[in-house]
Amino acid sequence: MQEYKKGSLHPLTIATNEAVSIFRDLGFEVTLGPEMEDDWHNFGALNFPDNHPARDMQDTFFIKGKEGILLRTHTSNTQIRYMEELVKSGGNPPFAIVVPGKVFRNESTDAGHEMQFYQIEGLMIGTDISVANMKGILLEFFKRFFEGENVDVRLRPSFFPFVEPGFEIDLKRGDKWFELLGAGMVHPNVLKNCGIDGEKYQGFAFGVGLDRLTMMKYKIPDIRLLYQGDLRLNQF
Amino acid sequence: MKISYNWLQKYFKEKLPEPTEIANGIIFHSFEVEEIENIGDDTIFEIKILPDRAHDCLSHFGIAKEISAIFEIKLESNLEDYEEKIENISKSDLEIKILDDNCRRYMGRVIKGVKVGPSPEWLAKSLVSIGQKSINNIVDATNYIMFDLGNPIHAFDLDKLASHKIIIDKAITGEKLTLLDGKEVTLDESILTIRDEKEALVVAGVKGGKKAEVDNNTTNIMIEVANFEPISTRKSAKKLGIFTDSLKRFENEIPVSLIPVVMGKITSLIIDIAGGEICEIVDIQKQKDEIRRVLFTEKYLKNMLGVSIESDLICNILDRLGYNFKKNKEEYEVEIPFLRLDINGPHDMVEEIGRIYGYQNITPVLPEIIFKKNENKEWNYINIARNYLVSLGYKEVMTYAFSNNGDIELMASASDKNFLRINLANGIKKSFELNKLNLSFLGDKEIKIFEIGKVFPKGQEVMNVCFADKKEIKEFSLEKFVDEIKNKEEFNNKNIKENSITGIFKAWSLYPFITRDIAVWLPGGEDQKKLENIFVEEGTDLLIKEPYLFDQFTKEDRTSFAYRLVFQSYDRTLTDEEITSIMSKINEKIISLGWEIR
Repeated sequence: MQEYKKGSLHPLTIATNEAVSIFRDLGFEVTLGPEMEDDWHNFGALNFPDNHPARDMQDTFFIKGKEGILLRTHTSNTQIRYMEELVKSGGNPPFAIVVPGKVFRNESTDAGHEMQFYQIEGLMIGTDISVANMKGILLEFFKRFFEGENVDVRLRPSFFPFVEPGFEIDLKRGDKWFELLGAGMVHPNVLKNCGIDGEKYQGFAFGVGLDRLTMMKYKIPDIRLLYQGDLRLNQF
Repeated sequence: MKISYNWLQKYFKEKLPEPTEIANGIIFHSFEVEEIENIGDDTIFEIKILPDRAHDCLSHFGIAKEISAIFEIKLESNLEDYEEKIENISKSDLEIKILDDNCRRYMGRVIKGVKVGPSPEWLAKSLVSIGQKSINNIVDATNYIMFDLGNPIHAFDLDKLASHKIIIDKAITGEKLTLLDGKEVTLDESILTIRDEKEALVVAGVKGGKKAEVDNNTTNIMIEVANFEPISTRKSAKKLGIFTDSLKRFENEIPVSLIPVVMGKITSLIIDIAGGEICEIVDIQKQKDEIRRVLFTEKYLKNMLGVSIESDLICNILDRLGYNFKKNKEEYEVEIPFLRLDINGPHDMVEEIGRIYGYQNITPVLPEIIFKKNENKEWNYINIARNYLVSLGYKEVMTYAFSNNGDIELMASASDKNFLRINLANGIKKSFELNKLNLSFLGDKEIKIFEIGKVFPKGQEVMNVCFADKKEIKEFSLEKFVDEIKNKEEFNNKNIKENSITGIFKAWSLYPFITRDIAVWLPGGEDQKKLENIFVEEGTDLLIKEPYLFDQFTKEDRTSFAYRLVFQSYDRTLTDEEITSIMSKINEKIISLGWEIR
């Protein structure tokens, strides 16, 4: 007789929990932020000037009738919220946070793109947190996330207004490279905008697509399958 | 931007490395190369220039500069020390008036007696290679120099102007302008225009107008090389819905110091290919580029990159990138070339040195600090709710945050649903119906699902929990739901034994499945596994699920086992006949063993 069955978690939840658990082991604490956000936390504080072409890099959902309110385009808004809170409560770096959460992009969908998806943001700030540390953390993360596989990471120069230098980071699994995430050393303006001394403190930030990680891990071919409410997805 | 390999070669005496090597160098030290295409004897790179480098790299010269630094090959000429060497310059009655500060500099020059005609082959070919059309020698020359050096240029037919006076000023609200492509736009006073004494000729920095177009009968031209303020230019273009190569350069900001170089180069090119008499330059400059210097130390560089780079190598990299600098012990004072509007502080120099040094040379190091780890209540609550519901047999689903109606509406959405959901229940209801249809496929007795996610009622953002079974759908705020769970800590992730879950997703077929139920009496002591094996063997590949035992009872010395079999094909809709034929084979086998089918 097939016995009473336990329920199951969505694959995205399983992958997210695993990612969070690895990052916690590596010293990060979890924090969350709002999905509906203001311009300052999603753009301004992150060093996106008003009316700047850099804003075109992120297709944004704006809210009708509410000036300057939008759906966050990245979990980076929570970097700002966390640091503002920290400073307000008299705290200081060092700190390390990860932010799992839903983000939105106003773009057409296909097997690799959705209007809503999940990211996990990482932010580590101290007095000597370096590019080498960022590479170390991400490599260690991928080693554990894709346990038993041969993985490697490589950095390519890129640009996001809230970091300098900025990177695209590729992940190697087996003998194939995948373009996977954006990262960089936090721009001193971002720290300054939160009231943290950008000359004394430094560190890195990154944002990884959790949908993409889930899809890679379980070989799910189409991101849209994740949001259909279809239990045939819960195979793990 | 499309960049031609042959065009790049013009900047170097030395033969450039092969195109694939060039592409790799650019990818790992400068920019993403999205595509490499061989066209005839040329190779075209599609290079993604992001806004930080659009000031200096939306041009072949910009990319040549990068290649020079990456591969340590000497550039033939540098713009910084360019001087116009043109003799026999005539006087001109051209007059230029800037009446709006959004024009930072405007340089005009009349060239008389040009011969408009087809471009020479090399010029037409260069433009076509990067996806541009060849129009005539004058227009082609302006385009060529823009793609070469990055500053847009406009040519006017001087004789079509009301007088030899050019005015840079706001448009008059309601004024109409017919653009080069024939489209008519209505302007307003937020839009900067280039005008003659009568009317608007050009949307400044965005697109030219029909009135002063250079055509085959043109003999006298006025060349404009100008600089416009980025934000206002971008706003004008957005308002008019026009996107051009010129706009792309101005909205990203270009240094005004580029103008004389570009004027010099365009003049020489036009004289070469269209002849004519060169008149003097009229240059009105409202704004100058600042001279910028940046200081950084070796210690700072090491602290940021996490690797120690030798002084000699730092100097070598700065040379290769074309920086003039002074070194004082381990401190560097760098003079920023005018094109590098992106360099403003020492953090920018970390990127400059790091990327040429090569990020692959930085060894990964785990940080040694012990960070304090606070618990996040909302995160814990989400996990407690999840684990609790799973323990009660609920399965998690995720649905869209978008909805057909709600309290918060989105502007210009790519979605067909323009509101944010006000509850989870509507999505859960649909999910429940969908899953009910697949009940046999899922091998479940009943559907029990839940979702945890943000909803947006009355302009608020709330984290809710919603769960449904065949009896009811319930929805609560996460907080209320978890607060009422007894022993909630038992369900915290850290108290749940974690297994690393692996596996490969199995896609489901898009064709309908067919189910058949079968009940068989087995004599006492007979293993039901034997029966299951018959189903699997005779069921063929079309039996896509393990036989699902949904009922079992014993009467006297026999036990009845009732199974549900689910058949489905990945490439077609199954027919009843096919399944009936499989079922008869199963029946025959069962009977041959002396068992009875109920």
